[in-house]
Amino acid sequence: MIDFDQLDKTIHEKSRLSIMTLLASRGEWAFQEMKSELGMSDGNLITHLRTLGTAGYVREQRDESGTRPRTTYHLTSEGRVAFKRYVDVLEAIVKTINPS
Amino acid sequence: MAQSEFMSPQQDALEHLRVIRSLMEKAHIYRAISAPAAALGGILSVLCAGFAGWSIVQGQGLAVERGSWFLVEWLLILGVTGTVNVLLLAGEARRRGQPLVSDGMRMALRALVPPLLVGGVLGVGLIVYLHNHVMAVLIWVVCYGLALLATSSFSPKSLIRLGWVFVILGLLSFVAWASSGEIRNLPHDQGLAALLMGVSFGLCHIIYALCVFLSPKQEALVVPR
Repeated sequence: MIDFDQLDKTIHEKSRLSIMTLLASRGEWAFQEMKSELGMSDGNLITHLRTLGTAGYVREQRDESGTRPRTTYHLTSEGRVAFKRYVDVLEAIVKTINPS
Repeated sequence: MAQSEFMSPQQDALEHLRVIRSLMEKAHIYRAISAPAAALGGILSVLCAGFAGWSIVQGQGLAVERGSWFLVEWLLILGVTGTVNVLLLAGEARRRGQPLVSDGMRMALRALVPPLLVGGVLGVGLIVYLHNHVMAVLIWVVCYGLALLATSSFSPKSLIRLGWVFVILGLLSFVAWASSGEIRNLPHDQGLAALLMGVSFGLCHIIYALCVFLSPKQEALVVPR
């Protein structure tokens, strides 16, 4: 029997899940790149990134060396572990589906 | 997210796994050849081949001889199209807040360079030293197709299909050319080579660009609220 409370509530929201997935797929993502990939507004994306940052899953990095400041995000090791655990729980839930 | 309220936990989990899968796939896709650059290259190739076709119609037949212009013309087209492609990729990278030489581009170059280098050197060598234009074009066509297929792990499906079209077209053209002594033994083969370039690099690129322009764009997976 699966305990659905095992699902990480911070990640179990489509927008935050999408952000976590992108960050898990590659080392780092620029804010603009993530925004264009997910089709989210600036405000919406920032809010979700802050939530994930507060949970310790995502870290922000600012690069002011170029002509334009560039903000990138990447998963922390804690975030990576949480994401893997979340996917494992999802898979376990899906396995309980009765094919009939 | 209202939809989730009416889903069973299993359906909800399945839906979330689908989101993860599509995003993972999408994040790894890199289009090394932009559709507008392909359209431009295609149009220039058709125009160039059209000129050779016009020469044939004017009575010189397939055995048209235009000196060293053949290589110069096609290298010019390659240069113009390649430059436009890089500019378009740079614009796209800027729009996404990425550097031009991104992880995706590095990956694409690693896959594209070996077959293109082999095709390029063999083709130019065949033209300059052996004056065999048709064989050079066939090698270019097949190697270009192989280069596109080498990007199949991260390219969109349209580019992979284009790769297969080039490989199959190149091989079929080779069989047709090799089996026809009359065509193979023409005194000059630049006219036929130009026509092959027009059909492969010209028409195929135009059709590819049209398919990309006409295909519905993939929608963003997360709807802004």
